[in-house]
Amino acid sequence: MPGANVLKEGPEASGDAVLVDIRTVSYTYEGERDPVLRNVSLRVGKGEFVLILGPSGCGKSTLLQLLNGTIPHTLKGTLTGEAFVCGRAVADTKVAVFATEVGMVFQDPDAQIVNTRVRDEVCFGLENLCRPAAEILERQREALAFVGLEGFGERSVFDLSGGQKQRVSIAAVLAAQPRLLVLDEPTANLDPAGMAEIFAVLERLNREAGTTIVMVEHRVDELAHLVSRVVMMDRGAVVFDGAPRAAFSRRRSAQAEELHDMPVSAWFPQASEFALALSDACGTVLNTGETPLDAAEAIAFGASRIGHARVPVAVPAVEAAPAGKPLLRVKDLSFGYDRRRPILQDINFELGEAGIVALCGRNGSGKTTLARLLMRINPPPRNAIWLGEKDVTTLEPREIASEIGYVFQNPDHQFVTDRVWDEIAYGLRVRGYADEAVKTSVSEMLHIVDLERYRDRSPFSLSLGERRRLSVATMLVLEPRLLVLDEPTIGQDHERAQQLMRLMVRLRERYGTIVLMITHDVRLVAEWAARVIVVSGGRLLFDGLPHAMFADPALLDEAGLLAPPVFSISSALAAGHPGGAVQPTLSVDALVAAIVRSREALR
Amino acid sequence: MSRAAAFQFRAGTSFFHRLDPLTRLVWVLGVSLLAFGAYIAWVQILITLGVLFTGLILARLSPIEILRGTWLFGLACISFWIIQTLSLPGHHVAFHVLGHPIYVESADYALASALRIYTIVLASLIFVRTTDPRELAIALVTQMRIPYRIAYAFFIALRIIPTIEDEIKTIRAAQAVRGVARKRSIAGRLGESSRFAMPLLVGSLRRASMMVMSMEARAFGAYPQRTFVDAPRMRASGIAVCLVMLFLLVGWYCALGLGYVHTVYVFTSETR
Repeated sequence: MPGANVLKEGPEASGDAVLVDIRTVSYTYEGERDPVLRNVSLRVGKGEFVLILGPSGCGKSTLLQLLNGTIPHTLKGTLTGEAFVCGRAVADTKVAVFATEVGMVFQDPDAQIVNTRVRDEVCFGLENLCRPAAEILERQREALAFVGLEGFGERSVFDLSGGQKQRVSIAAVLAAQPRLLVLDEPTANLDPAGMAEIFAVLERLNREAGTTIVMVEHRVDELAHLVSRVVMMDRGAVVFDGAPRAAFSRRRSAQAEELHDMPVSAWFPQASEFALALSDACGTVLNTGETPLDAAEAIAFGASRIGHARVPVAVPAVEAAPAGKPLLRVKDLSFGYDRRRPILQDINFELGEAGIVALCGRNGSGKTTLARLLMRINPPPRNAIWLGEKDVTTLEPREIASEIGYVFQNPDHQFVTDRVWDEIAYGLRVRGYADEAVKTSVSEMLHIVDLERYRDRSPFSLSLGERRRLSVATMLVLEPRLLVLDEPTIGQDHERAQQLMRLMVRLRERYGTIVLMITHDVRLVAEWAARVIVVSGGRLLFDGLPHAMFADPALLDEAGLLAPPVFSISSALAAGHPGGAVQPTLSVDALVAAIVRSREALR
Repeated sequence: MSRAAAFQFRAGTSFFHRLDPLTRLVWVLGVSLLAFGAYIAWVQILITLGVLFTGLILARLSPIEILRGTWLFGLACISFWIIQTLSLPGHHVAFHVLGHPIYVESADYALASALRIYTIVLASLIFVRTTDPRELAIALVTQMRIPYRIAYAFFIALRIIPTIEDEIKTIRAAQAVRGVARKRSIAGRLGESSRFAMPLLVGSLRRASMMVMSMEARAFGAYPQRTFVDAPRMRASGIAVCLVMLFLLVGWYCALGLGYVHTVYVFTSETR
């Protein structure tokens, strides 16, 4: 009951000015040996917007769960140190008591939404708090209006997009008017348009309503300029706590879940990453105060360093596509469970050259349905999908699987044995390979995906990154000619996604595999994809080079995509210096090299 | 984007959708009790037609929706009807199939038994398609005085069924891609289930734990009572439906008890 927990400390922890006051807290989950949090101290003042960064498994989510008492009351374990949130001692205050003070929003909107109608979901918390019906309805209207969902009350949550569902989740906690909003990767499952919706709501909430926000998020490009403070964690400890410009002004490293060092700059905003790289190339030190946090600041930073000399631009030679029959042809493909509401309409494309092809589009645009039709997981119509010279509807699933590998979004879904070694061997055994050949192939694949040391472990005991690599390995060992990756970066930090893509490139070089990657991650597309296919509302909107896609604002708007910051920065710099060395580019290294060339030409 | 499950609530504005959930519960229980007591084909046919009328006209379900939800049970019922017709004994031969006598009594009883199963499945489909699990849970709390924690546990279980159904489909597809062939034998099906078990368990536990954290964070269970902003109430139309069901049930079982229906059956079979 409110008021039952008496404040233990002095005025500093009264909860008015300091909402979070954590002092040397360590926490070990029940049944575990090693602590997840180690001597963590953190103070968050009223009105702050705090971004917590760190590699997967570093304790970020655990720290958030401490902020409303989920730890130690729902998730049991050993907690030492002192933690006060909104003036209440966490160890003595039950989760329900925090309901009016702390709002929690989790990663997966589908897993946290309890009710089926929008209005019911927003009213749920206040109903539990026994507030009068009239007040509940009024607050419900206000909360929905605040997140831009006015008039959505009677809608079914099943009919909403991912971004809308997550805004409903935020409205559901806002209705209780919490002083502290805690969010754990709320945009991980969303397309860039959905992500922008959420960040816009959070900015308004912090700026206009003065709500204090503590948030874990990997997608920092659109967030870095909105936050007031950055906290970096590594192996359960806070290793940096300060202003965003200070956070992103120098390179650091942290230990990844797989126990190797990884650069913290992997999840820096690309604007800051560009400034760091340019300063290094120019032999200067990046001052904290001039560290850019968004594209506009990076453009100003770049413009102050760019040379004005005209440099002949080398036009990259366009390689002619090798003639030959495509591996896969999709011809006039339309599909839907209900004729009145087709999911896909008139889709046409071919896949033939080895390389990485990105399949992009909004949540619910039909990308996964399209990929599943290729594998006959969903039943395709006749004569619409051709694998070589054969209509896939005439092929057995095993025949398709020998040509196409499919890595599902959740790697756990694909595991069928209880040992890593057996997991990779499974597909080979099903296809009748001799024992000796199985041994050789599995050992080689374990080496490629760096999982040799876990060969006898259960697949389910590995970290998410390792499970993802294992699921890729189970497909690659069969040497498919086409590998489909469904959202390979969801729930993973940028560095882990980069590791996976480096693995894809190695495999492409080795086996000549075509990789079709369904993704929302525009930085990943910019860095790795040779071609992009965009689906919007079930129709093929674009099929071409990433550069051409990012240069078309109308296309990006329709597909719910955003250009990566480096493209916006380089485009603006190129426009400001026509005929100069800088051209629109998708690579930070290329942009830095162009600016350096423009400076050298001056000398 | 996956196909919506057949046994899943869809909002609507039909007469049946507008009834309160408790009335619909009374209806489905009433239909089931009527069907249980009906062992004569023509009575069972009337009940099935009545339920079909409710589904198509009063609940405005499309014939395709009904087919999608019941085709599997329909096939099972037809098989059941044929097997029982061929195997049950009787006195009056109606006709012969490949020299095997088909009796009036066995065909009649088999049809009634098969239709009984189909009618109950159809009524359940209509109930599930038109009833928001949350509204039913609230009705149980506000009209039947069931503790809200228990009612919500029931609601969450119903709410999560389509999600688990989707998860099973995804796991099956994911494992098929690995080369796991679907087995027809019972032993094969058991082996297949054991492969599903771990990924399904891991996924379900993760979802359940997230749902619990989400509910607790919003004070679920903090107080013995809670507010319901729009608790459903039984209106005149609901009372009328309940009275009709009560009348039919009492009438039907009285007729059975007094032997009227039996007399009709004997009369029908004796005229042959």
